[in-house]
Amino acid sequence: MAVETHGTGTLPQIKGVKDVPYDELFVSGHRTCQGCESALVMRHMVKASGPRTIVLGSTGCMYVANTTYYTTPWVVPWMHTQLGASGSAALGTAAGLKVLMRKGKIKDEKINVIAFCGDGGGADMGIGAISATLTHKDYNSLILLYDNESYANTDIQLSSQTPYGAVTTFSPSGTTHRLMHTRWKKNMPGMMAAGHPESRYIAAGCAAYAVDLMNKIRKALELGGPTFVHTLDPCPKGWDYHPQYSQELGHLAVETGIWPLYEVIDGVCNLTGPTRQIAEGRKKRKPVYEYLKRQGRFAHFADEDVEHFQATVDKMWTEWLIPGVIPFTVPQKDQALLRVEKKPLHEQQTA
Amino acid sequence: MASVVVTDPTSITIEIVYRGIFQKTLAQRICRSVVLAARKRGYTGTAFGRYGDSPERNGVPAKYFAVVAINDLELEASMAKYEPSVVDIAVAVDDTLVKGVESWAWYGRQPIWKPVHAGGAVLVTSDKPAAEVLAQTDKAERPYLLGIVPGLASFAGLWVYKDDHTDYRVLGALAKVAPNWVRIEDVKTLIQEQTKDGSAVASAQEGYDRTQLRDVKVGEGTSGHEVLQFEKPGWTAMRPGVIVDARKPGERNPYYKKYGARTLRPVVNFDTCIKCTMCWLDCPDECFEVTPEGHYEVVYEACIGCGICAQVCPVKDCIVMVDELKFEDNDDKWQLWKTDHAAYNAWFEAKSGVSADPKRLAVASSKAENAAPGANPTTAGGED
Amino acid sequence: MAVEVKEKQPSDVETEQLATGCEAIAEAIRLADVDVMAAYPIRPYDGVMQAAAKLIANGKMDVEYIVADGEHSQFEIVKHACAVGSRVFVGSSGVGWFYAMEAIAVTAGLRLPVVAICGNRALDDPGAFGCEHNDALAVRDLGWLLCWAETAQESLDFALTAWRVGEDKRVSLPVAIGLDGAFLTHSQQIVKIPTQAAVKAFLPKFDLGDRLLHPDNPITIAPQVDQDWLMEIRMQNDQAMRKALDVIAEAHADFKRLFGRGGDNPYLDEYMTDDAEVVFIGQGTLSLPMKVAIRKLRKEGHKVGLVRLKWFRPFATADVVKSLSRFKAVGVIDRDYSFGSPYYGGVLYNEIRSAMYSAEKRPTIVGFIAALGGREIEQPMAREMFDKLTAAASGGLKSGDITHWIGVRN
Repeated sequence: MAVETHGTGTLPQIKGVKDVPYDELFVSGHRTCQGCESALVMRHMVKASGPRTIVLGSTGCMYVANTTYYTTPWVVPWMHTQLGASGSAALGTAAGLKVLMRKGKIKDEKINVIAFCGDGGGADMGIGAISATLTHKDYNSLILLYDNESYANTDIQLSSQTPYGAVTTFSPSGTTHRLMHTRWKKNMPGMMAAGHPESRYIAAGCAAYAVDLMNKIRKALELGGPTFVHTLDPCPKGWDYHPQYSQELGHLAVETGIWPLYEVIDGVCNLTGPTRQIAEGRKKRKPVYEYLKRQGRFAHFADEDVEHFQATVDKMWTEWLIPGVIPFTVPQKDQALLRVEKKPLHEQQTA
Repeated sequence: MASVVVTDPTSITIEIVYRGIFQKTLAQRICRSVVLAARKRGYTGTAFGRYGDSPERNGVPAKYFAVVAINDLELEASMAKYEPSVVDIAVAVDDTLVKGVESWAWYGRQPIWKPVHAGGAVLVTSDKPAAEVLAQTDKAERPYLLGIVPGLASFAGLWVYKDDHTDYRVLGALAKVAPNWVRIEDVKTLIQEQTKDGSAVASAQEGYDRTQLRDVKVGEGTSGHEVLQFEKPGWTAMRPGVIVDARKPGERNPYYKKYGARTLRPVVNFDTCIKCTMCWLDCPDECFEVTPEGHYEVVYEACIGCGICAQVCPVKDCIVMVDELKFEDNDDKWQLWKTDHAAYNAWFEAKSGVSADPKRLAVASSKAENAAPGANPTTAGGED
Repeated sequence: MAVEVKEKQPSDVETEQLATGCEAIAEAIRLADVDVMAAYPIRPYDGVMQAAAKLIANGKMDVEYIVADGEHSQFEIVKHACAVGSRVFVGSSGVGWFYAMEAIAVTAGLRLPVVAICGNRALDDPGAFGCEHNDALAVRDLGWLLCWAETAQESLDFALTAWRVGEDKRVSLPVAIGLDGAFLTHSQQIVKIPTQAAVKAFLPKFDLGDRLLHPDNPITIAPQVDQDWLMEIRMQNDQAMRKALDVIAEAHADFKRLFGRGGDNPYLDEYMTDDAEVVFIGQGTLSLPMKVAIRKLRKEGHKVGLVRLKWFRPFATADVVKSLSRFKAVGVIDRDYSFGSPYYGGVLYNEIRSAMYSAEKRPTIVGFIAALGGREIEQPMAREMFDKLTAAASGGLKSGDITHWIGVRN
């Protein structure tokens, strides 16, 4: 079991769990919840990137919880940025390093720039800045959006990434309104992939598939230019489940087809993990109810709410051009014209 | 034997020390009820959470306060406070909290009785006798009254409250030790009004009747807990530009040790471990050290007791979560397994209640199938 | 990537240019070897960004030029470039400046020496492009240094001074330079462009030392804090701002020595004040029509002068008090408003009044709200202000006479 160091700046793909590097660049002693998958994402993120990395962290759980108070769990250099500023932080940092190296003011070497944001800061407030940064192909950075499906640090309010019907402090379930939040989750990674063709790498991952996630992060950093990775992080506090089940819920999110794992490399879309297995027919999608029933934020769901949830996920798998990625359908008559032969994905009935 | 706390005649301050998020609603309910019950006899009061605890984190200790005063004027001294520095009663609604409370960096682990004045009280919800709870409590520096409110710790989440009447029993216990401020009749009237549920009212009475009291003298308790104190630097010593040193490679944050957030801790059967890496890999708190033989041992100073390791471990009963109150120290244990195998396994069995016998071997539990290698595709392409 | 064209570099001899305030600042950016700038369109500041773009396209300077998606992003981009050791430049106007306010506030909190121009423009609503000072004034409590330029020359000079003072380790605070919209941003004036050699002598390299964000320097910048920490951090900023007065004075002396310009006092300019009985005080280009008016009044035998405040933050209280104590009456001209303030006076009025409260000799102080929304100060208005000021000097203030709005149609 080799203890890997990353002095060379090259980041090869990790073959398996036994090849995951031991170096810890995000260490114990942060004030996160029991079972916090976002903290695990942070740990894997810099484990994958290695020490020649600068991390910019926007306001949110991964800022406040990690540095409460006047302390730090980071071994790599780290700087705070504003809630909606991850895109700008990545861009400014990358541009600053680039020009200083070009002018000979600092040593010319590969330095990974990673800016992270939560779903609130990234998919809501900061989406404009992220979009802008993904068009700047001359600057190398990774924007990592860790999605616990709420503004978690302010004690759980809904964001555009909160699932349909979920309870938050802005969407309580009451006697007049059973569901106050009826907006469907905005497709952030798909949107970034579709809208920024000059970004060489966009991916959706989950810490329940740790090696897959770390390899995605490495690929992003190795390919260069502006890149984006979106992780789905089960959150015991906001989702209301016992922390020991965080990994299990991550698996269920993928196995139900709710959260597809994929990457888009230079415009080529590649499904990964169980998502690929589902598309190939080797695995049946589990019913969404198996996932929803484990979480207190859905405890108020009536049958019709579960049915709507299932139907929407089904539609994503049976009708979308690429499930989880591209929501368009192409009319039958144009399929030949547009060279899109949309055969039904193999056996899409749920298990 | 004292059975009632000594307080200022003009006001009483009560703090509920609780497990963040898991017991947030419980703590709020208790404090609000203390104030509303006192209202029935014309007193006034305030209830508030400690701002620095917010946002709360699952398991990390937090505090909620109730202050009752005879009139508004006397109440003023307790208003606009971040937290009272002195309280009359501290209530721990999870007995593992008596091992000490550390809520964030630079704060250090605090004895549960720290803000309680001499002659005050510490109430603890527990299924254990007072002696066992006291054995895990820091040595008393002032005499106080210890009360055991019978029952297990009541844990829930943010959205779904577990109404197991713990709050009513605690109110009854408070009425027992502070009858001048929390009258049992007022408590019962309030509960009846709010719930119209006779069993809820009965639970308050049960708390009142069954809470076991014990005087604690100076020097009673354990001196085995780590004392951590930090001096906060002044502005001339603080680095300009709001900068702190990074952690060094291999270090864990010395200013914030998370073990105080733990209700359960994992114990490991190294004999049955198959070295699959999953516990180490999936721990959000980076609590596992890799041993020279490729096992993964728990760094108990860092572990927050979330239980993920026990869930993802594919071997039945290789990692078992055990009541934190059963342990006196935070020492790492792999060395013991290496040097005195029998003693370690005896320790494992005593703590976990599970046999360490390697002949009763590794069957992947139904929960653990997700932790099998196939669930972690080794390449991004998904081939496994 | 822009196609590079080899161009002859400007010769290392002081030259003259006919340049707007914005174009003069662009020259300063070139001379200071700025590393990163972020642009976003809003009038009237963005002339500087347009001028800079031309310089870059024609190979006159090498600056990483990023067009942002909004002012908030703009100011965030340069803030982070600064943290990794880049010398940076940015700017905005009016509501654009306000869109960046979060980034502006935190930059001071981080002690990062970002240099920005504020092309002073009235705040919406309604939209108006004309000159008002409230945009830049909004930073006055945050820990930004703030000065106002009178001419295109002074704009260039202040820009160089801003990097020098802001980046000084004893200060390490961001600096904003107010350029009056239209009157300075867009008016072309004769500007002496300093030599690169002189600038190099005046402006050292930007060096963050052990605050540099880089893998060789393991630090965490800006961890979350609570009541146990924040007051000490604010104290550090307060101390730095106090130090800034000295550092500005040092820079002023050096500038004078190297470039032969800058006036007698680092913080304020006095015009015809030697034997004045009454003076006006204000900031920015309003000094120009006021000087014209003062010369006319002097010809009529009136003893009147002008004090132009150059640095608003830090406020040079001792120097202001020493200067204004000599006069019977002071008329403060505010090209801004502060609705509901004490005496309904403008921002500068209340600052001057507060500064003079502890002075041994306290002149009568009259407030004038004038020339808002880009309106000029015309000579009859100046005359009206003079009449009101002298009336107050002799007859004293009656309540209701303290603040006057000049030139408003009723």
